[in-house]
Amino acid sequence: MAMKDLKIVGQPVKLRDLDTHVTGETVFYEDVRVPRMLHLKMHRSRYPHARILGIDTSQALSSPGVVTVLTHEDLPGKKLYNALAGAGVGPEDEPVLAFDKVRWKGESVAAVIAETPEQANAAVAKIKVEYEELPAVFDVEEAIKDGAPNLTAHWPNNHYVYPDDHRAAQIRYGDVEKAFAEADHIVEDSYQTQPIEQAPMETNGCIAVPEGDGRITVYSNTQALQFSLDVTAGILDMPTSKLRFVGGTVGGGFGGKVDIQPEPITTLAALRTGRPVKFKYTREEEMQVSSSRSAWRVYVKDGVMNDGRIIARKVTTYQDSGAYLRFSSYACMKHCGHMPGPYTIPNVSVDSIVVFTNRTPSNAMRGFGVMAGSFALEVQMDKIAETIGMDPWELRLINAYREGDMKAHRKEVEDAGMVESILAAAEMAGKQLPENFRNMSSLDRKAG
Amino acid sequence: MASGIVSIKVNGRAEEVVTGAVTTLQDVLRNNLDYTSVKDGCSQGGCGACSVIVDGELRLSCLTPVQEVDGSEVVTLEGLNLSNSITALQQKFIEKYAAQCGFCTPGMMVAITALLDRNANPSRDEIAEALAGNICRCTGYLPIIEAVESIVAEMAGIAGD
Amino acid sequence: MAEYLRPSSLEEAAGMIAAHGSTLAIVAGGTSAMRFAVPYVAYAMGVRGLGMNEIERSSGGLSLGAGVTMRQIRDSLPIPALQDAARGVGGPALQNMATIGGNIFAHPPNGDVATVLLAMDATVTFFTTNGERTQKLEEFYDSGAQADGLLTRIDCAAPGGELVFLKCGRQRFNSRTVISVAACIGLDNGKVGNACIAVGGAGAHPMRCAAAEQALIGRALDDAAITAAGDEAARASSPGTDAVASEWYRRRMVATYLCRALRQIAAG
Ligand SMILES: Cc1cc2nc3c(=O)[nH]c(=O)nc-3n(C[C@H](O)[C@H](O)[C@H](O)COP(=O)(O)OP(=O)(O)OC[C@H]3O[C@@H](n4cnc5c(N)ncnc54)[C@H](O)[C@@H]3O)c2cc1C
Ligand code: FES
Ligand code: FES
Repeated sequence: MAMKDLKIVGQPVKLRDLDTHVTGETVFYEDVRVPRMLHLKMHRSRYPHARILGIDTSQALSSPGVVTVLTHEDLPGKKLYNALAGAGVGPEDEPVLAFDKVRWKGESVAAVIAETPEQANAAVAKIKVEYEELPAVFDVEEAIKDGAPNLTAHWPNNHYVYPDDHRAAQIRYGDVEKAFAEADHIVEDSYQTQPIEQAPMETNGCIAVPEGDGRITVYSNTQALQFSLDVTAGILDMPTSKLRFVGGTVGGGFGGKVDIQPEPITTLAALRTGRPVKFKYTREEEMQVSSSRSAWRVYVKDGVMNDGRIIARKVTTYQDSGAYLRFSSYACMKHCGHMPGPYTIPNVSVDSIVVFTNRTPSNAMRGFGVMAGSFALEVQMDKIAETIGMDPWELRLINAYREGDMKAHRKEVEDAGMVESILAAAEMAGKQLPENFRNMSSLDRKAG
Repeated sequence: MASGIVSIKVNGRAEEVVTGAVTTLQDVLRNNLDYTSVKDGCSQGGCGACSVIVDGELRLSCLTPVQEVDGSEVVTLEGLNLSNSITALQQKFIEKYAAQCGFCTPGMMVAITALLDRNANPSRDEIAEALAGNICRCTGYLPIIEAVESIVAEMAGIAGD
Repeated sequence: MAEYLRPSSLEEAAGMIAAHGSTLAIVAGGTSAMRFAVPYVAYAMGVRGLGMNEIERSSGGLSLGAGVTMRQIRDSLPIPALQDAARGVGGPALQNMATIGGNIFAHPPNGDVATVLLAMDATVTFFTTNGERTQKLEEFYDSGAQADGLLTRIDCAAPGGELVFLKCGRQRFNSRTVISVAACIGLDNGKVGNACIAVGGAGAHPMRCAAAEQALIGRALDDAAITAAGDEAARASSPGTDAVASEWYRRRMVATYLCRALRQIAAG
């Protein structure tokens, strides 16, 4: 089909709410007006790892303007949650409000609900938590060594355990060790990415409003409305029919608003006080407390022939999940499947491991699980080109997958477009390629 | 605490605010007067989402004590909508996809208005500099700059006729 | 929340400062005070109403009201180094608000305009309940930057040579300051006659750098002298680490940017 026959592809589509974006009339959660609204502020842990010996809220409770203070003892339902539990992934390992221990600096401990944000802040400062500081671990490889401080009994070795007791998401395809022995060159390196804050313009937040019929309406800017609804219902021990979540207007998310952080506790606060309650992250909380992209450490070892063919690739990845699981096991699985890259390599071995450390829990960000892998692999590709003295464009064209090839995770390539994409990029960049490369196609092997 | 009355004109309407403690102009506009186009992205001067025009000058309402604008005229995007002065610019924003999530957009509109009031024919560089205090995490800025460029070209065309 | 005070005269302002001491925060443009001072005090005193926004020029000298904004510097003060510094402070809205007086009290690495004023060997004048007090900006900083009244004016003579300001930032417009440098060099028969060098973001406040000045005075402004001055400035620096840059990086940038500024002057 020619481009001109396409009716939707290639045509601009107007965003539904663009007309009100430009006039400022779009209603973000914070623009919802409700009378007699209270404000919630969170007391957060000052230590990355500590045992909680006691929480004293008495001074906060008698602080001006304070309506109530909530700790783990006030939770009617689940005290632990995981967003994906409803989808069969788990376990639920993250406290709604910390009770036995805190496992990262910034973890939620107690919520103050007051008439004004200033009064809530003043009372937050009056909450006294007695801690016994524990040794903390911040490095993925340190964390999984014998004798490292253990975060929780859920993960005795500080790493996630996949079904069938696997410590890693794995790919085993061909025989990498045999291929390494046959390769002309071995190229080996390690790559590290940093945590990255999504930094949406609008910080995480919600307003929970008790209704006359006993239901609670929650105006939220979450990117994960359904997860949020499910988790909130579980924590409040309430049927989902009693909760009405209103969302969809998100002032930037980029993955940074899939944490289920403000909604459950704000909904509980509305239930307890019988008044609308707002919980809005400050910019500081958004930067320091809301989840970031994980930091990933990736080891790559490749066996390469003089003619540029990569015949073996072995990858070991450690994903720093921070203190809790959130969506990491899913991201790490995706990372694993991506790891041979868009290249056809006959012998592949990948281990990707979710590690728990005393750092801020990480979560989604654009290219969830994949970005760090692509970064490592494409730097590695340049390194290979340099090592064997080959043009990096030509190296990628030689190895790019073709229609019908078998990928390492045993899925046949369909609708391949890698070669064409590289060639189009080369043309745009003014890169001159020899004719035999210019004539390459994703259908090469099919045709041959 | 001694309280006082602050008189301001917002979008052409006279308003009075009784206040003793430090209150930001942003808080008064959003929460007392319901001008919700004035956004709060940081409360610390870093993002520009709260931009308003005070006596013809662009200001950050989150760092402005309302007491400091006693007797002033304040204009928010709601006011610009009323006067229809930015309908053409809004149309360009729609055409160029210069808004995605829309959270930065009101601040952008106000900042662009302040720019064009000072300089009716800004260069691309001057546009970029004039919007440097307004963060947009979605668009990558290019569509916004192009929207301004095209409105400038259009205005120049009209002026030249 | 702090009570808001609006004095209507310098005397009244000085009286409020004396009466409330450290429980009072001065708000000029408010761009720093509203976040870092006002939430922690009982009284906030707005000084915009006092005017103090005159720019006076006399026989080569310059007198700037403490309330002069970055916008005013850009629009009405044809001293390129000061204009460059003012242009780098935040975006246009911030520049309409931020004052030169507030910049003198800015938390490091901020204080871009103050860095230029230091290289211009400016004086600062305070209005107190005991009358006016004028001292060198350099002395004010060296003695711990404690204001005992209201800063009303900043005065400086015409620069005694070529004056250049450079800021190391992360982006072209509205960049947070990594470090800043200002150099004023008077050449006398091809040799450096007088040198006034200041660096910002390299300590608790902007500072004059005597060792770098000594490395230049009496010498030709050549590569060797420039490099020596850069090294001295880096040695004299004790910058901090924050989200914008590390101490390690800042120290190196002090040398790099001072050398760049001096080369610019040498090239004429
Ligand atoms: C987003 C952003 C970006 C910034 N970027 C820069 C930058 O690039 N470079 C830079 O140098 N700064 C920067 N700043 C910091 C600050 O805005 C400037 O330093 C500004 O000049 C401070 O002036 P102000 O009038 O707003 O001070 P205010 O906030 O009003 O006052 C700050 C303090 O100065 C003292 N003070 C002010 N006036 C007087 C007076 N007349 N007498 C006695 N004491 C007084 C008070 O102690 C007061 O608490 C930035 C700030 C923000 C929010
Ligand atoms: S909310 Fe005022 S600048 Fe961000
Ligand atoms: S459109 Fe989302 S921040 Fe600009």
